[in-house]
Amino acid sequence: MVKLDDIKKECKSILEEGKVKYIVGYKRNNNYYMSIPAFIEKIEETDQLIWDPTCVYNLVRFLRDEKLRKERQKTPDTRPIGVIVKGCDSRAINVLLQEKFIKRENVYIIGVACEKSGVIEKKKLRKKFNEKNIKQIEFGKDNNFIITTEKGKTTISAEEILAERCIECNNNTPVIYDVLLGEKVERSLSEHFRSLEKFESISTEEKWNFWKKELDKCIRCYACRSVCPMCYCDECIADSISLAVKPDTTAEEKAQKIRWVEKSPVSSENFSYHLIRALHLAGRCIDCGECERVCPVDIPLRYLNKKMEKEASEQFGYTAGLDPEKPALVSDFKDDDPQDFII
Amino acid sequence: MQMILSKMNFSSWLKKLNSYRIFAPVKSGEVWSYELVEKPENIILDYPNTIIPPKKVLFPQREVLLEFESSSEQEIKLKEVIPEETPSVIFGIRSCDASGLAKLEKIFKGGFEDLYFSKRKNQTILVGLACNIPPSPDCFCTSVGGSPYSKDGLDILMTDMGDEYYVESVTEEGEKLIESAIGLFNDPEENVKKELEKIHLESEKKIKRYIKDIDKISSKLPEIFETEFWDKESLSCILCGICTYSCPVCHCFDINDEVICTFPLKGKRVRTWDNCQFPDFTMHSSGHNPRPDKASRLRQRIMHKFNYFNENCMELLCTGCGRCISKCPVGIDIVEVLEKVRVYEK
Repeated sequence: MVKLDDIKKECKSILEEGKVKYIVGYKRNNNYYMSIPAFIEKIEETDQLIWDPTCVYNLVRFLRDEKLRKERQKTPDTRPIGVIVKGCDSRAINVLLQEKFIKRENVYIIGVACEKSGVIEKKKLRKKFNEKNIKQIEFGKDNNFIITTEKGKTTISAEEILAERCIECNNNTPVIYDVLLGEKVERSLSEHFRSLEKFESISTEEKWNFWKKELDKCIRCYACRSVCPMCYCDECIADSISLAVKPDTTAEEKAQKIRWVEKSPVSSENFSYHLIRALHLAGRCIDCGECERVCPVDIPLRYLNKKMEKEASEQFGYTAGLDPEKPALVSDFKDDDPQDFII
Repeated sequence: MQMILSKMNFSSWLKKLNSYRIFAPVKSGEVWSYELVEKPENIILDYPNTIIPPKKVLFPQREVLLEFESSSEQEIKLKEVIPEETPSVIFGIRSCDASGLAKLEKIFKGGFEDLYFSKRKNQTILVGLACNIPPSPDCFCTSVGGSPYSKDGLDILMTDMGDEYYVESVTEEGEKLIESAIGLFNDPEENVKKELEKIHLESEKKIKRYIKDIDKISSKLPEIFETEFWDKESLSCILCGICTYSCPVCHCFDINDEVICTFPLKGKRVRTWDNCQFPDFTMHSSGHNPRPDKASRLRQRIMHKFNYFNENCMELLCTGCGRCISKCPVGIDIVEVLEKVRVYEK
C-alpha cells in the first residue's frame, strides 16, 4: 500500500531541492468526497496532498497547459514540473514523448503504483450509495475500500466499485518514472477487453442504433476532448474557425479552410466529431477513461477507444504508451503488416 | 389563485391540457432532461435536476434562422424560418431555472426583440415545482437573490405537500391553466396554508452553500481584473463547455452558414450555442484572440455573471442552481472562487 506520507515526503524534497517548478497532484475537495487536481508550489502546501480511490484524474493532461504557458513567457522557468501518475497515466507520458510533444527533461514523474487496487467509478458507486451522504473514500486492507458516510464507515470490496478500466488494466505499475512509490505487484487480469464483449456480439444494425441513440445525446461541450491528454492539436477539427490563422493568413486561405464538423449538435455532425476523435486516438489512447468519466450525458466513449485499442493489439501487436523509443503505430509500417482492411 | 390538487388528479389535469405540447423532466439512463412528453401520465416530478436547464426549450442549442438557395448566379432566394407558434407547457421547473428564463427574457426581449425566442416564450406556460429539499448539495439560490420557492418567471408554482400539490397561479395564463380543469382542484384550508409557509421556510434552511457579501464581491471584481488571481484559480480548468452549456442563463451564441450543396448553392443559416470557454470564442479573423488563455476565460465567465450583467441590468447573471459546480470535471466551484475573490488581497 502506497503511504501518503511517502508521497508528501518525495514532493517536499524535490521542492526543497528546487528540482521542479511545481507539482501536479491530488487534494481534497472541500465540499465533496472526490479529490481535485492540486498545483503545489510551496513546501508547506504539500500537506494538502492526498492519495485515495477518488484520484481518478489523469494529470498528464496539464503538461499541455504548461507547454502553452512556457511558449507565451519571454523568460520561462525551464525547470520541469512534477506530476503524480498512476500506471495508465504514465503511459500517456510515453505517448507524448514518443510524439515529441514534450521532452523527458520537462517532466519529473512521481509514479504511484495502484498495486492490487485502482480508482472508483461513480456510476457503480451510485448504485450502492447515496452520493450525497458520502464523506470520504479510502484504501482499506485486503483490496477493500473504506467508505465514510454520515452513518459511519463501511468496508466494501474494491471490485464492486472499481472503475471498469481498472479491471481491464494491465499496467497497475507506472511504466516510466523518476521515482516509484508503492510496490510492483503482479495483477494479471485476463479480462483486458471484457467491456467490448457485449458490444461486439450485437449485429451491425443494433450497433448503428446503439450509437445513434448515444451520440444523439451529445451536447458538444467537448469535455472529452478537453480532458484528454492526447488531444493537444493546435487546430482541432471541431473548432468552427481554424486556430492556426495568423495575421498574415490571406482571406483566400481562410476561405479554403475546410470545416470538417458543423457546430450543430445533430446526428451527422456528432458522428463525425466522435468518429474522427476515435480514429485520431487509435494506437494512442491509453485508456485512462477520462473522456467517459467527464461526459455530462453519459456517452460510453470508452467503447470506441477500447475497440481501437483492440484492433491495434490484434492486427499489429501494438500497445500504446509502453515504450517512448519505439515508433508510433501510425507512423510506422512493416512488410508483413496485415492488409485485410484494404477493400 | 391558490388551489389544492390531489396527486391522484395530477395526470387527469395533464390529460385536459391536450391542446398543449407538454415538456417535463424525463430520465434516460442516469440523465434527466426536459423533453417533449407523449404520455403525460408518465411524468415524474420527483427528480434531482436536469443536466441541461429548460432554456433549451425556448432557446434551443440549434436554431435555423433562414434558408438560402440560388437559382442563378445573380439571384439568391432567402427564406426566413420563424418557429411555429405551438402552445406549450413546461412542467416541474425549479425556481432557479425559472428565474433563469426571466433573465433570458430581459436579454432576448429587452432592447432588441429576438423573434425566435419571444415567439416561443409567448406561447409557453411555465409550471414550477418548489424545492422542499435542495435537489443538489451545490444549490445556492438564496445567495443570488432567489429562493427554493421563488415565483420569479413562473406562471404557476406547485409545492409538494405529501399527498397533494399546493398550486398557486402567478399570472393570468397560469390561472387559465388551472381553470381549464377547475373541477379537479379544491380550495386550500387555513391550516394547509400555514403548513405551506412552514415547508417553504424550512426548505430555505436546508440550503448549505452560501456566498457572503455578494454585492461587495460584485464591485470588487474589476479591481482584481489584472491580477494573478485568475491564473491560480484557473489552473485546473480544462476548458470544456460543461459549465456554460448547463447554465440556465448563459446565452452566448454563434451563427454559421451550413451549406448543403455548393452548386447550385443551397443551405441554412444556423444559430448554435457558443461558449466562452472554447478556444475559438470571439476569435477575430485576424487570428487575434481576445481571451487567449484559461485565466482570461474563467475571468470572463465570472465577470459576466457577477459584474457586467449587474452593471447593465442591476441583477446577477446566476441563479444558484449549482450545475456548474456539480458537473465540473475538475471540481471548480464557483461559490469557492467568489469567496476567494472576497478575501483576495493584491
